[in-house]
This record gives sequence, C-alpha cells and structure tokens, in this order.
Amino acid sequence: MKQKRKMTLLGKQSAAGWAFLTPATILIAIMAFWPMIQAFIMSLQTGSSANMHWNEPIFNNYTRMFSDKVFMTSVGNTFLYLVIQVPIMLILAILLAQLLNNQHLRFKGFFRTCVFLPCATSLVSYALIFKSLFATDGLVNAILVNLGILQENYNFLGNSASAKAVIIIALIWRWTGYNMVFYLAGLQNIEYSVYEAAKIDGANGWKTFWRITVPLLKPTIIMTFIMSINGTLQLFDESVNLTNGGPANSTITMSHYIYNNSFGAGGVSNFGYATAMCFFVFILVAVLAFINMKVGDTRD
Amino acid sequence: MKKKVLSVLLAGVMAFSLAACGGGGGSDSSSDGGDAATEEGSENKLTVFAWDPAFNIPALEAAAADYKENVNPDFELEIIEQAASQDVETAVTTAASAGDFSNLPDLVLFQDHYIQRYVADYPDAWTPLGDIDINWDDFAAEKLDYSTIDGEHYGVPVDNGTVVCAYRTDLLEEAGYTIDDLTGCTWDEFMEIGKAVHDKTGKALLCMNSDGNDLPYMMMQAEGVSQFKDGKPYITENETLVTIVEKLVQMAKDGTLLMPNSWSDYTDKAIQGDQVAGVMNGNWIIPTIEKVEANSGKWEITSMPTLEGGEGYASNGGSSLYITSNCKNVDLAKDFLAKTFGSSTTTYDNALKDGGVISTYAPAAETEVYQEGVEYFNDQPIYADIVEMGTHVQIVEQSDYHYSARNYVGTAIVNIINGADTMEALQEAEDQLNFEMGN
Amino acid sequence: MTEKKNRSMIQRRLIPTYIFLIIVAFLSVFPFYWMISAATNNTFDVANGKITIGGELMTNFNNLLANYDLWRAMGNSFLYAVVQTVLAILICSLAGFGFELYHDKWKDLLFSILLLAMMIPQVATMIPLFKMLSSMKLLNSVWGFILPSLSTPFLIMMFRQNSRNFPVDTMEAARIDGLNEFQIFYRMYMPMMKATYAAAGVITFMNAWNAYLWPKVIMTMPEAQTMPMLIANMSSGYTTDYGMLMVGVLFCSIPTMIVFFVLQKQFAEGITGAVK
Repeated sequence: MKQKRKMTLLGKQSAAGWAFLTPATILIAIMAFWPMIQAFIMSLQTGSSANMHWNEPIFNNYTRMFSDKVFMTSVGNTFLYLVIQVPIMLILAILLAQLLNNQHLRFKGFFRTCVFLPCATSLVSYALIFKSLFATDGLVNAILVNLGILQENYNFLGNSASAKAVIIIALIWRWTGYNMVFYLAGLQNIEYSVYEAAKIDGANGWKTFWRITVPLLKPTIIMTFIMSINGTLQLFDESVNLTNGGPANSTITMSHYIYNNSFGAGGVSNFGYATAMCFFVFILVAVLAFINMKVGDTRD
Repeated sequence: MKKKVLSVLLAGVMAFSLAACGGGGGSDSSSDGGDAATEEGSENKLTVFAWDPAFNIPALEAAAADYKENVNPDFELEIIEQAASQDVETAVTTAASAGDFSNLPDLVLFQDHYIQRYVADYPDAWTPLGDIDINWDDFAAEKLDYSTIDGEHYGVPVDNGTVVCAYRTDLLEEAGYTIDDLTGCTWDEFMEIGKAVHDKTGKALLCMNSDGNDLPYMMMQAEGVSQFKDGKPYITENETLVTIVEKLVQMAKDGTLLMPNSWSDYTDKAIQGDQVAGVMNGNWIIPTIEKVEANSGKWEITSMPTLEGGEGYASNGGSSLYITSNCKNVDLAKDFLAKTFGSSTTTYDNALKDGGVISTYAPAAETEVYQEGVEYFNDQPIYADIVEMGTHVQIVEQSDYHYSARNYVGTAIVNIINGADTMEALQEAEDQLNFEMGN
Repeated sequence: MTEKKNRSMIQRRLIPTYIFLIIVAFLSVFPFYWMISAATNNTFDVANGKITIGGELMTNFNNLLANYDLWRAMGNSFLYAVVQTVLAILICSLAGFGFELYHDKWKDLLFSILLLAMMIPQVATMIPLFKMLSSMKLLNSVWGFILPSLSTPFLIMMFRQNSRNFPVDTMEAARIDGLNEFQIFYRMYMPMMKATYAAAGVITFMNAWNAYLWPKVIMTMPEAQTMPMLIANMSSGYTTDYGMLMVGVLFCSIPTMIVFFVLQKQFAEGITGAVK
C-alpha cells in the first residue's frame, strides 16, 4: 500500500518533469527539427525554388559540391579561420582571465569591462570600423608607415593573405572578451588556496597556469571550444561585411557561399544545392563537437 | 512577496506581447502580420518597394504627385523603402518559394538584369502589362529588351543605365589633352592619355571596384559583344573579351586603372575622395561625382572608347517598375504606370530634378529641364545628351547568368593582376560558369 | 610597515601585467572610441580617417531623425528583444529544471537529441520556417520574430548545468510542506537561480537585439523594422553618410551596453552556475 503510493508520487513527479520540458521540446521540434527535415528533402531536389523537382540522380547536389571549386575554397577558408583564430582567441581569453583573477590586481572591473566592450558593439559597426582602420589610407597603414615597418601604404583588404588576417584579427577582437567572461567565471570557482599551495610548492606562474588553471577549467574550455567551432563553421557576417568574400573569393566562408546560392546577388536561388551544402556544414559541426566531447569527457 | 513579483512580471509580459501581436509589430498600423499589397477596399492606393532615398524614391514620389494632381486627386502611393535592390529580389524569392505572395506590394522596382531570370523562375509572381496604354516605340530599345519576355511587356522603364564617360577637363589639359581626344578614340589611345594624366597629376583616368566587374561588361557591350553566345558562356574563345581583359590588366599595372576594394570605396573614396580624373559608369553615378563641390565646372561627359576607334555606347544597371501578382487593383496600377512613367514628361522632369533620375523615354529629352545646361558639367546639357546616347546602345545577348558571368570574369581579372596566367584564369572562369549553369 | 612594503612589492611585480592589460584594454576600446568620434564628424572627415572628436554630432543626429524613423526602430527592437528574452528564459529554465531535477533515462535521451539542434545552420531552416510562419500569418509580427529562438538548446543546457548545484534535499522538504512541483519551480528555483536568469537574459537580449538575417527575411514592412535593419539601410545605397551612420550605430549599441553593464556581476555569477 505504502509502496504503491510512493510509486504514484514518483509517477506524478516524473509527469511534472515532462510537463516542464514540454514547451521547450515542442518549440525545438517545430522550429528546428521539422524545418531541418524539410530542408533535407529540399537538398535532394533541384530547380527554381517555386517549382522544385527530384534531382536525377537523387544525391546530385551532394556529389556536385565536391567538384565546386568555390565551395572547396570556402571550406578551406573556414577551416583556416578555425585552426588559426579559435586557439589564439581561447588562449588569449584564458590568459586574460588568469591575469584578471589575480587578487592583488587593481582596477579589475575597469579592465574586464574594456575587454568585454567589443561584444556589445553591433555587427555593422564592427565591420565598418575594421574596414576603415585597415583601409589603404587608414590608420593602421599610417602607423605602420610612420614606424618605418612599411615602405608604402598597403592594401590589406585587397590582398588575399592579408584580408584573411584582417578577418582573423577582427574575430579575435570581437570574441575574446566574450570567452574570457566564461573563464573568469570558471576561475572564480577555484579556491584561491589552491594557488597559494602551489606557490608554496615552488611552482611559477607558467606552471600553475598549465598544471592548475587549465585542468580545472577543462569543462569551460570544452564548452567554449564547441561554441567557437560552431560559430566559426557558420561564420557569415564577417565574410559578408568586411571583405564581401573578396578579393576574388579568397576569403569567402561556407555560410556566405551558401547564402549567395540561396539569396545572393545574381538572382541565384538554388535552394536545393544550398541546403545540400548546409547539411555538409551540419555534419562537420556535429562530428567536430562529438570528437570534442569524447576527448574532453572525463566524467565517466 | 516573490510570488507577487513573478505574477506581475508574467502579467506584464502577457500584456506586452498581446499588444505587440495586435499592433503588427509594435506599430499602430492596422496590418496585423499581413498583406503588403493594398487591400481590395482601398481603390486609390498602391504600394511599391524601392530602395534608394536619394535616387529612385524621389522619382516615385514625383510620379505619385503627378498622378494625384493630374489624374486622381484621391490617389496615394505608399513607398516601402528597402535597404538595397537585393532586398527586393530576396522578397520575391522568399515569397515565391513559400508560395505565398501576400507579402509583396502592388508594384516593385526591379533591377533590369535580374528580371528575366525572375520571370522564368517565378512566373506566378508577376502580372504582365498586356494591353497597357503605352507607346513602346518612345523608349530605348535596349532598355525594353530586358523587361520584354517572349514578346510580352512586364515592366515600365524608370531610369536609364546609359554609360557616361565623365572626365576632368582641367586635368586632361594639364596632361596636354582635351575631351575631344577621348571621344571616339581607341582603347590604346585612351591608355596613352591615361598614362600621361597619371604621370602629370597622379590621378587615374579609369576606376573599377575590384569586387565589381562592370567595366569589362560595358566595354564589351560597346563592341556589340556579349559574354554569352547561344546561351552558352563565351569567354575563352571570345577574342574581344580576352583583348579587353588584357587591356584592363595593363591599365591596372600602369596606374591608369584604379581598383578600390569595394563599391563603397569606389564611391566614397575614389570618386568623392577626388582620386580620379575620369569615371566610366551608368549615368546614375553622376550624383556621386557631383558631391565634390570643389570640382564644379571641371567635368564633362562623352561616349566610350572602342577597340577599333569610334564612339561606343553601353548601358549598365537600371531598373523598371513591375506589377506583382499580389496586386488587387491591376487597373489602377496599369493606369498609374501608363500616365506617369509611361507618358508623362512632368513625372520625368521632377524625377530628374528631385532624384537625378534620367529617362529612356525619348520625348522627355525635349523638355526644358532636360535641355538645360548643367553647371557642374561646364554647362553641358548632359541629360539630353544621355538620352540621345541611350538610343545608340546595341542589344547584346542577355542571360539569366549575367551577373555570375561578370563575377567570374572579375575574379579572373583580379587573379591575373596578381600574377595568374590570362588564359588559365579565364578558362577557370568559364569552367565555373559552365558548372553553375549546369552545362 | 612590512605589510605595506610587501604590498608595494606585489604591485611592482604586477607592472608587466598592468602594461599588458592596458595595451589590451586600449586595443579593445579604441575602435569603440573611433565609433564615437566618427559620430561627431561629417562624412568626408570620417572617410578620410579623422580620429579626433568633431562638432557635428547634433547635425548628424538631426539628419538621422529627418531621414529615418529612429524611434520606431528602437521601439521595435526593444519590444522584440524584451519579449524574446522574458519568454525564452522562462521556457528554457523550465526545461533545464525539468531535465536536471526530474531526470531519467528517457529525458536524458531527449536532451541529447535536442542538443543536436544546436548544430543546425541558420540558413538551412530559414526557407521552411518562412513558409511555415507566413502560412500562420505571423510575418511582420513579434511572434514571427521570436518563435524560432524562444527555445534554444544552449539556454536549456545552461540552465540544466547550473541546476546541478540546486539543493535537492530542500525540494523534498518543500514537498513535505505541501508545495506542488510548479510551486517549487517558482517559489524556490526561480529565486535561487537569479544569477543564471541574469546571465541567460543578457545573452538572449544581445542575440535578439543584434539579430539581422532572420528579421530581414520576416520583417518586410517598414513598420516592423529593427535597429540593425535600419543601420544596414543607412550603410547601403549608392553613397553612405558615415557621420549619420555612426550616430545610428551608437544608438544601436547603447541598449546592449547598458544591459551588460547593469547585469555584469550577475552575468559572471550566472555563468559559473552560482546558486543563492
């Protein structure tokens, strides 16, 4: 009797639990998974978006992308941004967090606010600012020429390698502070006594950083890593606003190329092909996130 | 206490969002999430998408005022401003893809180069003009070639894309030339003059944004050649195109051709920053040139050079007005178009005065407003000249892939300047274009 | 005395840190300063790289008001962002609460499935979503704007992880006191998770405020225009008035900055999962 009562109570609780997560689940199902299924169907089709029909052969859009040079360039660019920008940004963010976590440091709030400020700027402004800073007659050129580093003004955004560098710098500028906040928060969970103990053991700053800070921050690092990979693989705004993919498509990202194929200039609206490329991105993100979680998972 | 705070908060949100729902996005308009075109009840109102508050929007306002004053005093035209021409295209694409046109206005201003593809891809989005009362012979043939599909008229021309070659006469003089030397000259002669001007004044005689690619297209049209032949890309085997690309690359190396990175650098830095001695583009570039007040009176315009010599004419950009399938009052829309952009010199006079929009409607060029000399251009009657030049533009083969072709050729030019082999780069452009067209 | 000496020694050793931080702070703030200075100069000076404060702020501001409906766009953005923030944190915190504190095998499985949605590229779902919402007649409405982002795996995950620190024992105690499950949620969970709500609120507000691609698709009428759309309108077209544009950009940045500055402390706490 008593046992049975407890069961129903548990049942009631479980039901309440289901009730709590129902609205969120239904919304995600309707607003993310259902459109995704429709998009998958679309990726097997071809033709103008008002009159789509099955592709022949059915996976044509998928095989097609691998012989598309511009798409392959965009995949290469995106990975280049990923490999260079994400590690630099995350290491810089941890370093800043570590410095700002120092008990003796003054003006902490001021520094933290400064570093976070870029996140509050809107996208259009940030693109415009970088465009004008790195313009041929912009401030960066003026400084470099005055310092004698450059002989004459350099067209940073007009040259493929330097344009990529500008995009990476802009991304680091914009997102380092954001990631730093996560690390700072993570560090505040680490008791200061752990550091004191390390100091007594004679560990220097660098050692404490690698032996204590990094391991203790591991969950946060994994989270920021996944977020950054996800964000970088879907990178769109910077490519569009800063360089418009140029010069000669040398800085275009996957999402930008996909957008160009769905709503881009030229009246192109090849949704079938575009959604097929979207699935490619989806699979990449999923695989990378999965590897990341497996590598970083220490819980079980 | 806390419970109270929560319930107040929740109630607040509910009230807030309900109000928002009723208000169609926070405004007090009556359009609750709904139809962009005017409803059937309102007999005297039309809506239209347009995008440039300094150019085509004043032109539409001029037309609305004209119609209101001379035809229907109750008429009202609601102009819905878009950020860029591309947003109009996106609106049509999304509407057609969703199969729901209720989001479109009665009329859209649409770029000429895109319309053929949009009519082919989304035939259900448009209403052909049919028996509209317009004498089409009054318009430039090249302009109408875009908006006429299978012999059926879909659009009424608004502006004029005729290419002007504007030069700084004072700088030419400094280098020992006049504008007459540049009228009807060959490109080789142009390059010589360009070098002289660059040596003497440090300014470039020609300018093109490196992510744009208008110039090769315009230069080819002046030769009567297209990037397409029989619906196929015509690039590597197109000797005219190859020669033009080589000349452009040479000019870029000579410093005759300035290549800013983007369109905004082209307008805001190269032209308004006074770095050029010449501008070659659709005449809609004129208001941009005029922004540098200090150079008033120093500019003049003429036609384009050609490879073999002789005056060249081309057209770049421009748009026309189209009736969408969402228009509930087609008769009013047709009447409005016919009695404004279709035949009214009043509309065109005011469109020119308020927005600098020049017509392709031949009778418009005869009005006083058009015949007047423009002070900025050394009192040259440039508007009448432009309409006249427009009549000489040759029709070349158009394609749905017009802009794609331009992009690939533009990319090739940048690559060649950076050291790639000419024929290899062009071959790649042709391959990519074929790939995109599914050939 | 030694205490003081010790302290000054520590400070002295921190000098390289200060220098580094000052450089980083300067680099972070400079573009921001540039934005403000650009707002006070005319377009010609901005395009030519002038970086000192000018006297054109009011002219630029008046130009902006004359040409664009700034207040309407601000109002719209504010409305969308606030409604989205409040509803999203409510829905996602409910889910996070449910997933963590009532978890069983099936709910854990469901959670991993929902996490997959985090990896769906936005461009992929745009067309189907547009079709769906337009058939529901939700274009140009606050619902069309917010529905796709009311429930996000990221927020659910955040609430779920932070709920780990929620004392389960007190839940039992509360049940014995006769509170039902929903009462536990809003009487105990919500107050205790204040910091997480603040952090989630800041993130959601910023995302909603800065959203551009989606509103561009779904908000077709000028009455429904948002601030980022207005700014984009100003920066396209044949030529750009940079001074005026930067005034718009400033207005667009102010709300996100205020939200962050006001909730800065709670934001940091909320991200760590602090429970009060």
